[in-house]
Amino acid sequence: MAEILIERIDALPTDEIAGLKVRPGKPLPFGVSHAPNGLNFSIYTSAGIACTLVLYRRGDDEPFAELPFPAHYRIGDVFCMVVFGLDCEDLEYGFRIDGPHDPGAGHRFDPSKVLMDPYARLIAGRDVWGEVPNWERPYPYRARVSFDDFDWEAERPLEIPSEDLVIYETHVRAYTQSPSAGTKHPGTYAALVEKIPYLKDLGINAIELMPIYEFDEFENSRIHPDTGDRLYNFWGYSTVGFFAPKAAYAATGSFGMQVDEFKQLVKSFHRAGIEVILDVVFNHTAEGNEHGPTLSFKGLDNKTYYMLTPEGYYFNFSGTGNTLNCNNPIVRNLVLDCLRYWASEYHIDGFRFDLATILGRDPWGAPMPNPPLLESLAFDPILSSCKLIAEAWDAGGLYQVGTFPAFGRWGEWNGKYRDCLRRYLKGDEAQVGQLAQRVQGSPDLYRPSGRSPATSINFITCHDGFTLADLVSFNDKHNEANGEGNRDGGDDNHSWNCGAEGWTEDPGIVALRQRQMMNAMVMLLTSRGTPMLLMGDEFGRSQHGNNNAYCIDSPISWVDWSLLETNAPLHRLVKALIAFRHRHPALRVNQFDAPGSNLFPSCSFHGTEAWSPDWSDQSRQLAWLMSTNLPQPDGGVDAIYVATNMAHYASWFHFPSLPHGFRWHLCFNTGDTAQPCHAGEPPLDAGGILVGDRSVVVLKAMAC
Amino acid sequence: MNLTIESIAQDGYHLISLSGDVDTKTAPELLEALTALELAALAELRIEMAAVGFLSSAGLRALVFAKQKMPHASRLVLVGTSAEIAEVIEKTGLTQAVTLVSSHDEA
Repeated sequence: MAEILIERIDALPTDEIAGLKVRPGKPLPFGVSHAPNGLNFSIYTSAGIACTLVLYRRGDDEPFAELPFPAHYRIGDVFCMVVFGLDCEDLEYGFRIDGPHDPGAGHRFDPSKVLMDPYARLIAGRDVWGEVPNWERPYPYRARVSFDDFDWEAERPLEIPSEDLVIYETHVRAYTQSPSAGTKHPGTYAALVEKIPYLKDLGINAIELMPIYEFDEFENSRIHPDTGDRLYNFWGYSTVGFFAPKAAYAATGSFGMQVDEFKQLVKSFHRAGIEVILDVVFNHTAEGNEHGPTLSFKGLDNKTYYMLTPEGYYFNFSGTGNTLNCNNPIVRNLVLDCLRYWASEYHIDGFRFDLATILGRDPWGAPMPNPPLLESLAFDPILSSCKLIAEAWDAGGLYQVGTFPAFGRWGEWNGKYRDCLRRYLKGDEAQVGQLAQRVQGSPDLYRPSGRSPATSINFITCHDGFTLADLVSFNDKHNEANGEGNRDGGDDNHSWNCGAEGWTEDPGIVALRQRQMMNAMVMLLTSRGTPMLLMGDEFGRSQHGNNNAYCIDSPISWVDWSLLETNAPLHRLVKALIAFRHRHPALRVNQFDAPGSNLFPSCSFHGTEAWSPDWSDQSRQLAWLMSTNLPQPDGGVDAIYVATNMAHYASWFHFPSLPHGFRWHLCFNTGDTAQPCHAGEPPLDAGGILVGDRSVVVLKAMAC
Repeated sequence: MNLTIESIAQDGYHLISLSGDVDTKTAPELLEALTALELAALAELRIEMAAVGFLSSAGLRALVFAKQKMPHASRLVLVGTSAEIAEVIEKTGLTQAVTLVSSHDEA
């Protein structure tokens, strides 16, 4: 019997506008979606009174059609239309919205501007990094239609428990732009994929990418007054489009294939057992304040999307001009839609939220006790296995490390861990008490609210601030290259140059710096919580004292891969430490009141005498012992002893005695920077071990 | 630039020879030529690519579309693909759908 096919009647047009066949559309999903024989366009504006769909052929400055939405194409505050017979590949689209222009009342409608769809999944206009844009272009960031038809095969997100993660923070361009990276397409997603074997060998199992949502590297771009170098929006913490991957990071960006290339990146990382976490910036947009450009939100529904003062000016909690009005229900849904899209369509494993406390402010900027956006994200069914990580502070002075509204789900960048570890490392007094809290996952911050050690993302360095090598080589920031007279960047670095500012030939200083970098890595990777490393710190990457290279696209900010050879012992140590962490569950216990093992409490502290830590302000020595029973069938005991000596003299540490049948074995000793890793050596005979000045020793208990 | 498509059944495989650019205007012609085949019964489809200067996203999608209609164990072989096009295919993860070879001897 012949099959009879009846075409859906909604696949047929009902009207003709500007020479194109159309019919009333569907309000959801927002943005553009594929409809039978056509494309469905849907756009929200509450205060706008009329809307026009503007269609361009790819790259053209002048539209080929402008389609005003008829009155019956509006449902509630949403204009929607299906347009038939369009060539998806050759299409760029935008909207004009008419409405009041009354900034004092919060309205900035301007129908002379073509606005980008805030739901655009593919954005053209900045396809090649650093290509100077034509500023006269009337519609600079151009929404396109993506295909969302990637073949994932059977791949899915990895869902690695947070306590087992070792996160590696990376900037797509900085990581491979240097010729020393030896990649075929420097600075792209494809080049990052080429580095997967290196990252797998290092042992990390999560990569956190600094912003990859479409941004404009030319935003606030300027020429350095002294050097003549061009300065960029290099880091990208200023979003143009929340649903689109940055085109200029794609080797195939000029083909408009960035969606596929980025999905291929995620798939490749997952195949290597590495999760992909995105650093997302929902606190502000690229539209700036009242002097900034009108690109999208400002002309769509300014009052909805931005926090405004009663006079209609922009609140500036982000320090960048405007603040997204995250707890307005419309904006909240945009954020939720966005994250759901990345989690489902791109298989993203987690998100780190830049200046996340802004997400907990009400529309007038006051911190809320139960912010609905944070709650929605915490309980969302599609995001339920995604990691949610907050940078729990903002530029408006709200600091919520330990008190960020977590709903049992949110982790935090632990700024207090960073500061304490840095101060202890440089030998500040009065640190050991706090250090004891930090290395066991900061129970002082997280236990009262019922959270666990893995809530704490432990880090000593991140993109914001000194690299590890600079932390031990500079007392002060040196940000002259940023063109702001060294005024930008933080001053509370807690850094110590070990005796000379910047590069030196002094062998004593060079050796001490090596040791300090190793000490930092050992303490970070033997702390409970989730450790995070900054790209290249494992081989001593430097930014030459620049602690805020947000605008620098040069060898200052690019990872110099030749250091991998120069600092081979450091790299070997970090690799060995990560493997050690993966092997030893005692370091990853994700419970503050864990019962401990058959031999020891879950976590105990010691000094040069076992069981007697010196908590005095003058003390610069602390040892910790972490232990847990191993699961069956081995059923053994895991016990790791870490002795840290940040004093300027060597000390004999008596380690806790083991019952008959167990011996301590040396695993790491940073006192010998040439050979810090030890394995398979005979057990220690004496009742203790000499820990050199500013050195760290790690032992493990083994049955003999 | 136009696209010329020649479609010939060979011993053991079907050969489509392309000459010109596969862009947004010509990709539908390629798709038409592909859907005209008995894809579901095809063990191997070879596309002669040496004379193709440009292959757009729509062109790539037409190829993947054809592969998905073909039997699971079948092969879609691109012969003589330019380095630039091969790279796009590789970077966007389409190598799982197609096999790239430099000549028919390799195929």
